[in-house]
Amino acid sequence: MSQTAMIHLHDVHKSFGTNHVLRGFSMAITKGEIVCIIGPSGSGKSTVLRCINGLEAYDGGTIHVNGTLVDNKAKSIVAIRQNVSMVFQRFNLFPHRSVLDNVTEGPVFVKGEDVAKAQQRGRDLLARVGLSDKENAFPRELSGGQQQRVAIARALAMEPQAILFDEPTSALDPELVGEVLSVMRDLAKEGMTMIIVTHEIAFAREVADRVIFMDQGVIVEQGPARSTLSHPAHPRTQDFLRRVTHPIDPA
Amino acid sequence: MQKFLADAAEFIPILFQGVVLTIGLTIGSLVISTVLGLVWALMRVSGVWVLNGTAKLFVNFIRGIPIIVQLFYIYFVLPDLGITLTAMQAAIIGLGIAYSAYHSENFRAGIEAIDHGQIEAAQSIGMGWWMVMRRVILPQAIRIVLPPYGNIMIMMLKDSSQASTITVAELAMQGKLIASSTFKNTSVFTLVALMYLCMSLPLMALVTYLEKRFSSGQR
Repeated sequence: MSQTAMIHLHDVHKSFGTNHVLRGFSMAITKGEIVCIIGPSGSGKSTVLRCINGLEAYDGGTIHVNGTLVDNKAKSIVAIRQNVSMVFQRFNLFPHRSVLDNVTEGPVFVKGEDVAKAQQRGRDLLARVGLSDKENAFPRELSGGQQQRVAIARALAMEPQAILFDEPTSALDPELVGEVLSVMRDLAKEGMTMIIVTHEIAFAREVADRVIFMDQGVIVEQGPARSTLSHPAHPRTQDFLRRVTHPIDPA
Repeated sequence: MQKFLADAAEFIPILFQGVVLTIGLTIGSLVISTVLGLVWALMRVSGVWVLNGTAKLFVNFIRGIPIIVQLFYIYFVLPDLGITLTAMQAAIIGLGIAYSAYHSENFRAGIEAIDHGQIEAAQSIGMGWWMVMRRVILPQAIRIVLPPYGNIMIMMLKDSSQASTITVAELAMQGKLIASSTFKNTSVFTLVALMYLCMSLPLMALVTYLEKRFSSGQR
């Protein structure tokens, strides 16, 4: 295991019933790295993220975060989750709490931070995602893009070392995608470690250090974002990229 | 009507003693059944096989036995085992346990109705099982659970009359005693019915109020 790797997966296997979703998946993410995982639906992209922070148990192989083995039955999973936040496709904000309370929930109740201090930081984070005026609103009063930006602020409030993004723009109306990507772009500039499962190829090309193309539970191809996306070597990658970038072309 | 009012003036003070016991019974067994019901429900959703199985067995066991038989058991059989309770204690505990089964199924349905993404979001910011329940699931489940909870509460108020079978002189029993000694069945039981109604209606209003309160700021 590489000493510099912050998140390290080795030969990870995962099945849902008879469906073998991950078939020996390995990757290492170093601090500050931005990796986009792309691939057809059902290829196991989301499952990789969900295994890293223990939302899903894995059947074989090892996952380490900062050298600690990820085991969602062990107490250590709480510390791992605080270090590795997650942003979900469907936002999953707490509907019964205001925007600011959503952001301060983790710092106050999980980390035991002082309420006033957490609220101050929460307001700063909301300003950072451009939602200062919405702190007293409830999630249902916001657009999808605004909700996802609150979700990113909620993830940041835990002061994580890395953030996992699980198709953060897939549930959004097209005109709202940009505002979320722009917040993520800012995070990238600030050096946040990010693993992003996405179908936004242009965004991956622009922001990612590395792109991983996954199919049927394994890495088919990976490399620097620009060259891999512009000149994919593997026929399955070429085919996938053609489909997502020119969806109306006959196959 | 004149005659009824005269009877009412005479009987209401006696019936009122029954009302006090009825309210005491209902509140006591409501507290016990709510706490126990929540315990069963949390055991059911704990994901721990032994807890889930135990709670399921217990709830079905309780649901399968008439309340009146449970009351007889607690009041008449437990003394043989060295546990002697007053009629009131036995009634509160008996109704509390019997109704915990109904609360439990209601609570469980409410908890399971919450989107699984809520649990994942809470876990992803480092919450443990208890905190997920307390901070995220239960506050949202309350809204779903309240209307049926109100109905169960009203059923409990009425079923507290079953305590009369183990000598608790609550409202129904007081009515029966007066009726059998005065033969004024119509006046007495009309009064008894009205008094139950007077206790149920505020409960219904309370449920409506709570539903409104808990739905503010939400879908």
